[in-house]
Formats: sequence, C-alpha cells, structure tokens
Amino acid sequence: MFGYVRPLRQELKCRDFDLYRATYCGLCRCLRRRYGPVAPMFLNFDFTFLALLLWQPEETFTPCRGRCHANPLVQKPMCPDSPALELAADESIILAWWKLRDSVRDEKFWEGMSAQALSGLLYPAYRKAAGLRPEFDRAVRDSLEELTALETEQCASLDRTADTFARLLRSAAPASDPRSRVLEQLLYHLGRWIYLIDARDDLSEDREADRYNPVAARYGPEGDDPALKLTLDHSLELMGAALQLGDFGCRTPVLENVVYLGLPLVQRAVFDGSWAQIKKQKIWRNGQ
Amino acid sequence: MKDPYSVLGVSQSASDEEVKKAYRELARKYHPDNYQNNPLADLAEEKMKEINEAYDAITKQRAGGGGYQQQSSGSYGGYAQQQRSYSSNNPTYARVRNLINAGDLGTAERLLYEVGRKDGEWYFLSGSIAYRKGWLDEAMQNYTMAVQMEPSNMEYRQALNMMQQRGGGYRPYGYTNTVDGLDCCTTMLCLNCLCGGGHC
Repeated sequence: MFGYVRPLRQELKCRDFDLYRATYCGLCRCLRRRYGPVAPMFLNFDFTFLALLLWQPEETFTPCRGRCHANPLVQKPMCPDSPALELAADESIILAWWKLRDSVRDEKFWEGMSAQALSGLLYPAYRKAAGLRPEFDRAVRDSLEELTALETEQCASLDRTADTFARLLRSAAPASDPRSRVLEQLLYHLGRWIYLIDARDDLSEDREADRYNPVAARYGPEGDDPALKLTLDHSLELMGAALQLGDFGCRTPVLENVVYLGLPLVQRAVFDGSWAQIKKQKIWRNGQ
Repeated sequence: MKDPYSVLGVSQSASDEEVKKAYRELARKYHPDNYQNNPLADLAEEKMKEINEAYDAITKQRAGGGGYQQQSSGSYGGYAQQQRSYSSNNPTYARVRNLINAGDLGTAERLLYEVGRKDGEWYFLSGSIAYRKGWLDEAMQNYTMAVQMEPSNMEYRQALNMMQQRGGGYRPYGYTNTVDGLDCCTTMLCLNCLCGGGHC
C-alpha cells in the first residue's frame, strides 16, 4: 500500500521483533506460494500489520523456518501459513492491482507505461485473488471509483474523501470474526489516517503539479498542520481505544507498538518532512 | 461465569494488593470516559461490567467464603450506569438522539435533514452523527457551530472540548511517553524496522 504502518523498533521487545519479522517473512513466502515469484514485490509493512491484526488470538508464537525468497541460501524464521496470512496476501494483491490501474490512468506517459507493464505482470495473480475474495475486490473497485469521482469534483470535505479509503480498508476485516466490530472500527480509522497522511505527504508535489489534494482543498494550498494533526491524532486515539477491546493474544504488544508509537512517529516525520528520506529506503530493498 | 482471576489476569495466589492493582489498571482502560460517544462504547461497558463482577466476586470470596457479604470496597461499581442524559424539547431531536444511541445513523441523519431551521442542537446532533461515523473533521465543525450559537450550553461545550483535547485517553503501561521526545536521527533509524539490522 504505502508503507506508513510500521512498528517503532527500539521499543519492541526482542521476541516481539522476532514475531514481527517472522510475520513479514511469512507473508512474503505466502505471496510467493500463492502467486508466484513476482508477487513478493508487492510485500509491504502495511499488510504485515493487517496479518498480525487478523490473526486469531494465540497465547504463544512458535515460528518455523523457511527459505528466504531474496536469498534462497538462507533459512529464516517464518510464521506458519494461516487464514489471516492468506487473507492479507490476497488482499494485498487486489489492492496493489487496483492501485496500479489507477496509476495507469492518472500518471504521465512514462510512469503510466511502467505501471501498465507491472499490472500486466500482476494480472494473473489479481485474477486468482479476486476469485478468492470477490467481496473485497468489489469493495476496493467501488471505493476507488467513488474516490476518483470526488477528486474530479474537487471535493472540499476532508472526511468524505477519506471515508472512501477508510471504508475500503474496513472491508479487509472478515465479517465472520467475533472481533469484527473492533477490527472494523480500527481499520476504518487506519484507512482514514493513511489516506490523510498520504495526502499531506503529497501536498507540495500536488501543488506544483496543480493536482487535486484533499488537504489543500480543505485547508488551502499550504495546508494547516495543527488542524490536520488534531484530527489525525483523534483517529489514532480511536484506533487505540478499539485495539483495547479486542483479544489479540501474544500479538497485542506489537500491535500496540504500531498504534501508540509507530504511527505517531511516521505522522511526525511526514509533518516535518523527514519522511521523504525514510520513504526512499523503504519497501523495495526489504522486499527483495 | 468466567473465572474471576482470569478476567483480571492474575493468579489465584495473587495478594489482595495485586488483585486490586490489576483491577484498577483494567478499570482505567475500560473507563467510560475513554469511550464517550464511541461506537464501541457498549463493548467497553460489557468489559467494565465483567471486571467489576470479577473483582466483587474475589473480594467476597476472600472476605470469608460468602458468610459475611462485604460491600465491594474499592470497586468502581456503577460506572456503567453513569450515563449523562440530556433531553430535548423538540420531539424530532429526541428521536434523533434515540436513533444515534441505537446506532442507526442513516435514519438519524435523514430525520435531521428534514428539519428546516438549524439551531444549536441541530448542529450538535449533526456533529454527534458525524463523530459516530468517524467523520471527525465535520464533527468538529458542527460542534463549533453549536457552541457559537448557544455558548452557554454545557453539553455542546463538553463535546467540543473533547474534540480539542485528544491525547488524554488511555495508554497501556509503557506507552505513556509519546514519541515527542525522539530526535530526527532516531526517527530514521527506528522506522527502518527491518533493514537496520542488516539481516534482510
């Protein structure tokens, strides 16, 4: 997705860091097993968080070992396959594909071409994932269509535009989960937060390119960081409140770390501009 | 009923002090103040009830096996019932309030939009609906309007106040310090959560 959803490593206990990395590596393996060698390219932190969140609560975690996709000579601790991991893998493929289709349409010629090529590569995987998760596929398509319509009409409501992406992410939670209300509330505000932080991140770029930006449409071309921070903090607060009501077993500390420390830090980095540097060294190197 | 000790997350051999501490921490977590107007408020209320019952059961048990029924001394009993209730003179507004409480936001919104004259309460209710939906920016704008129109109304001012002071909510032990203390370089290091170790 975007890579905004990360834990704050120095505050993680070793065992929680191991759990996080094993889930990341496990998701990579799951993507490769289900969708072939191209798929791990779309591995990211955001869906690692989703897998951790959707995992059925367990008291303890025991990793198994698996061969690394980036370096097959190395064996790494990986989490075993699970319904949550498979769901996260399928959903990341679906979202990646629709985002690529979006870029094909929006970007300039050359960027559009590379997105076109990538989406061609991803198409068979997307077909399979969409067949497995038709509801999520429909939800993503509908939300992104709605979002495009709002962007075209230059919607000035921060909430209305963010709501489309928030609902998209909310639909990532399986309805059958007993924790579904908690998960939906948490994912709604995570989606809202991601959408708005991404808009803030693109603010100056969009201004130069004379593109629509929801933050600029609401607060003016320069944005209004204190006001935006207030509403973003509130979403984070509601995510925390939701998190406390669900049972996440041994994954609770990692999830709390992301919500209470990782996201606020990313938010601060986006506001003060240091995120641009962090972003450059993000997913691709890790995902290989 | 579940084992009261496992509800509080302590062992059977825990001292009275430990039981009390665990109870206090949970009560702080699920306190209704943290879930004001939150769509999950009912779940928090259930949790609160569960831990209150567990704490009462343990204190009773320890006070002498049920012969002498001691009143739960430290319990935050009755928190769940402390719902502040405000009433509306306007019957439509009263219905809208009921619908909001029942979680039927769609009907509440429709009913509210049929009202022609927009007064302070209209904006307040509109803000409450927005808040429940997660439309926090519009909630803020509507509450602001409500307070502007009726500055003396405590209910509206409280709602606006809540929007302006985020960050006062519950934090688990160990997360009480926010990230504000970290400098820029640490930000860079910390967020490179996988690569930094050189294992990837």
